[in-house]
Amino acid sequence: MFELDRSQYPQKKADGTLDIDLTSGKYLKLWQGPQHPGITGNMAIELTVCGDEVVDATTHVGYLHRGFEKLMERRTFMQCFPIVCRICVPEPDFNEYCYAAAVEELAGLEIPELAHWIRTLILEMGRVNSYLMYLGGQAGAFGQGVIGQWTTYVRDLMLDRFEELTGARIYHMFIIPGGVRDNLPDGFAGRMEETLREIESVLADVDRVMFHNAVFKKRAVGVGVIDTAWLDSYGITGPNARAAGVAKDVRKDQPYLVYPELEFEAVTGKDSDIYTRADVRRRDLLLSLDLIRQILSRLPKTGAVMTKLPNVLHWKIPRGETYVRGECSRGEYGYYLVTDGSGYPRRVNVRGPSYTHSIALFERMVINANISDVAALLVSLHTYPPEIER
Amino acid sequence: MSEASIQRLQSKTTLKEILEVATEFERTARDFYTDLIPKVHKSIRYLVEELATEEQEHYDLFTQMAARDDLEQQLKVEVERPTSDHKFSDCIHLPDLGEQPDDQAVLQYALRREHAAMEQYHALAQGTEAGPIHDLFLYLANEETKHKNELEKLYYATVHSGGV
Amino acid sequence: MSISDVLSPFTAWKNLFRDPVTIKDPLNERPGAARYRGFHKNDMDKCIGCGTCETICQNGAIDMLPVEGIPAVQGDSGLRPRIDYGRCCWCALCVDVCMTGSLTMSNEYKWVESDPDLFRFTPGVDKKYWDNAELGYQRHDEKHLMPVAREEMPELHPEARLDSFVEIVQGYNIEQAKLEADRCVSCGLCIATCPAHMAIPDYIKAVRDGDYERGVQLLYETNPFSQVCGRVCTHCCEDSCAARHEGDPIAIRWLKRHIIDQVPQEKVIELIGKPAAPTGKKVAIIGAGPAGLTAAFDLARLGHAVTVYEAQAAGGGMTRYGIPEYRLPYNALDRDIAVITAMGVEIKYNQRVGTDITMQQLEADYDAVVLAIGLHQGRSTRIPGSDHPQVRKAVDLLRQITAGETIDVPKSMVVIGGGNVAMDIARSMARLQLQHYGEIRVTLTALEDKAHFLADPVEIKESLEEQINILDSRGPQACVIDDNGKLLGLKTWKVLSIFDAERRFAPKYDPADEQIHEGEMIVEAIGQMADVSLLGDALTEKLEWNRGRIQIDPNGRTSENWLWSAGDCVKGPDVINAVADGHRVATSIHRALTPQEATA
Repeated sequence: MFELDRSQYPQKKADGTLDIDLTSGKYLKLWQGPQHPGITGNMAIELTVCGDEVVDATTHVGYLHRGFEKLMERRTFMQCFPIVCRICVPEPDFNEYCYAAAVEELAGLEIPELAHWIRTLILEMGRVNSYLMYLGGQAGAFGQGVIGQWTTYVRDLMLDRFEELTGARIYHMFIIPGGVRDNLPDGFAGRMEETLREIESVLADVDRVMFHNAVFKKRAVGVGVIDTAWLDSYGITGPNARAAGVAKDVRKDQPYLVYPELEFEAVTGKDSDIYTRADVRRRDLLLSLDLIRQILSRLPKTGAVMTKLPNVLHWKIPRGETYVRGECSRGEYGYYLVTDGSGYPRRVNVRGPSYTHSIALFERMVINANISDVAALLVSLHTYPPEIER
Repeated sequence: MSEASIQRLQSKTTLKEILEVATEFERTARDFYTDLIPKVHKSIRYLVEELATEEQEHYDLFTQMAARDDLEQQLKVEVERPTSDHKFSDCIHLPDLGEQPDDQAVLQYALRREHAAMEQYHALAQGTEAGPIHDLFLYLANEETKHKNELEKLYYATVHSGGV
Repeated sequence: MSISDVLSPFTAWKNLFRDPVTIKDPLNERPGAARYRGFHKNDMDKCIGCGTCETICQNGAIDMLPVEGIPAVQGDSGLRPRIDYGRCCWCALCVDVCMTGSLTMSNEYKWVESDPDLFRFTPGVDKKYWDNAELGYQRHDEKHLMPVAREEMPELHPEARLDSFVEIVQGYNIEQAKLEADRCVSCGLCIATCPAHMAIPDYIKAVRDGDYERGVQLLYETNPFSQVCGRVCTHCCEDSCAARHEGDPIAIRWLKRHIIDQVPQEKVIELIGKPAAPTGKKVAIIGAGPAGLTAAFDLARLGHAVTVYEAQAAGGGMTRYGIPEYRLPYNALDRDIAVITAMGVEIKYNQRVGTDITMQQLEADYDAVVLAIGLHQGRSTRIPGSDHPQVRKAVDLLRQITAGETIDVPKSMVVIGGGNVAMDIARSMARLQLQHYGEIRVTLTALEDKAHFLADPVEIKESLEEQINILDSRGPQACVIDDNGKLLGLKTWKVLSIFDAERRFAPKYDPADEQIHEGEMIVEAIGQMADVSLLGDALTEKLEWNRGRIQIDPNGRTSENWLWSAGDCVKGPDVINAVADGHRVATSIHRALTPQEATA
């Protein structure tokens, strides 16, 4: 057994490269991804292993680069609206919200009250979907496939609600600069309640089968600990930070939309390991279900859903810059938008939380991990490669 | 009123007689318009020329009719004289439209004439038994109606253009 | 970790006894939601081919293409959107932006084909099984992506305008003009409709950009009468504007006026630039109206020496002597004419061709002659009594008012006619009555019922505001004159119908409903004709005629190869048509005067 401080091993040379002899036969280069069951989405990890221990890791992204930020510089403000959701597939709505809010702020538009409520509803619905997908992934990373089947089933029910509300299941394209496209359909709240109950029922099963599971605990407890000291230096946000006991939640820290009017507390944990992060997400999911109920019982029944826009075909926005952020299921999602008075964004920068979590933080955390834990570790940071590569 | 006119106003007449008056009606009209052609401004000559052609066609119809042997018996049949008859025959007397009548004057005259003819042929068609003569009057009534409608449209477009 | 952590996962076994949740036959059992954004539908009765869907599509998935059996007509390009579903991202912005609401989406999402090219089709033209789908994405009732209401034009209220000939329409300020210009979707249907094919979307863009100098240059490319057309154009462009289907059409006419109002006249002349070098060719133009002066402007810019003969004391033709000053101020007209004369056009005023100079003289002195004499002779009803001296023609009176001649203003009068000229004279005389007697007593009788008046709706509205007593469906029967020869008024019968079932003119009167409208003067405003007496007998006989008008070829040339004719006298009354006609004859004359290079 290696007794020394693992974090000092393997040793590095003065120039930062590893002080190991890759040709010695002691080490193995191993690619996990881009096609690999233990990878999240379209990315790859180049691992250097010694036995079953990871001694070095480099993340490789670029398989999914679509150049959204550049594309947007050649599209009118309204034409950007349908493409932003594609930046993050599993939880697209934050792109729609952050983009719309940034445009509205720079254009000086006030959006109607009802639109604020519906936007909040959609963001929480999206969070539910995202967490359901995560739970399946986290369990799957430890070889437990059934959880994913269950959560996919209830996620599908939520997609039905998205479909009837927005007209689409995945890319909703509903939070449009100026407001939202329409009011809730008739009877929506009732059908949503049924969906929420079904999700709760499945989550109870998940609790029994995944969280109260000796194998899962054995694999997840005490593994992949994030030190609270890293939070600021690595820009760690969302459940990854909250599981470390720090109540970082944009919904509370810098409230937007109708969050100030909703009753909730940020969900935190304290052990900061894979298990705690999973548990924080499970409880955050339950919070979202509660928030959806609060929203549906309190949102105005009628009213305008959109503010009057100028002719969007040649909509010019005065010179300005802004950063709009929101709390998505992975942490802080943000849009930095610069306008120059023309009909096109001068610069758009999208902050997807997966960028910091899954490149810088992951590369550090994976050192000395057991190779069989690498997939679970990456999933536990809740990685969505599309938002890494805009 | 002349002796002939009084006779025309009698209540009974023969088809032959009616046909003669009608033929005369179309002939005089044709000659009237034909004489008018060189008198009017060249810009509206088309109008008078068209009117003359129209009347010539009707005149041809009547003369062909009169030449038909098979109608001899029918032409002797007495018929009720239509009430429109006097208006119709009045039109045979041609007005003086002045030295160089303009389009409006020509159109007004033509309209009045077509109207009288239309009424006359309608009445005659109603007063005759089914047969070639009945068909002829019906055809003529229809022709005159169409023609009158065309002229009215032209009159409206020419005179009542609204002058935007 | 406890023993329950070992046992608890076994509860998953309960699912063995559950029914599957999977939809067994999703192709048939799972229709899209009511709002589902599925394959497109396009209502061919509503689509006008404006291409706004193509403009907004950020994927370039939509191409506007001609479709067999759908011709391009006024207000419809004849093109229809073909959608490439290999590109479409189903965002429905095309549906949201559709100017007529023709483009919608079905809730259909299932379609299996082996040929990928089939996924590029024209909805509504290429029949699909979802064409009649009841469900699917519909745009929100309110149109959100652009304003639909026209920016209101500031106008003088009736009480403020009634006692003078001050211009009623005040014009947009810059902010208002920008807002109105913003509404334009630049589809260009208006360009096809405008007789002069003005670059409307481009000059509207110039308003949006605040680049008025560019705007003026664009205006002068196609129309030297922007002051006039910016005020009194019949604006058929606005009738084919895509925005009119779900809102107000863009105020194209007012935006044109706004541009020309922003740039000083000297700057306008500078922006147009100098004419071409002299060609040594001479052209005479008869009539300084829009047609004649447009031709003069074009020919002068091409370097030809142009002389315009005008019978009146000032230029503009019917736009000056027919249109009252409250609609078109004379100084606005003067500005347009000043730019034209600045191009070297010489206008000889008070020179009546036929009297002061003959056509033969013009033929001899010039390389080409343009006849653009307009329609200055009023028509008469020729009802009994219409030869009374107090029965006047509207065009004559309007001319007198413009010329500043003293008019014996009647205390009461009757106008016959329901067109714009009738409104013009009624409203002008009302102003004079108010100035002279402090009250208005003008009755206007028209054959048509109000729904079919020939006058612009705005003219009728403003006439009513100005206390004109408008009586519709009245057919004039006689001018009533008393034994002393004094005109008492107009006798009319009720018009039961003007048109027969086939929409032909066939007025039917009800003599039982007879009215006499009091008037010391009766003004006939039923129509106009060209006074072609200036041609003389010889030329009249030489020329070919076409149903009352001088026959011209498509370029405006008459059967005499030295003579062209343009404008109202050959095309009927309309300013912008006259301008377009002026361009046409100028082009034709230039071609005729320029030696052609021999073609091999």
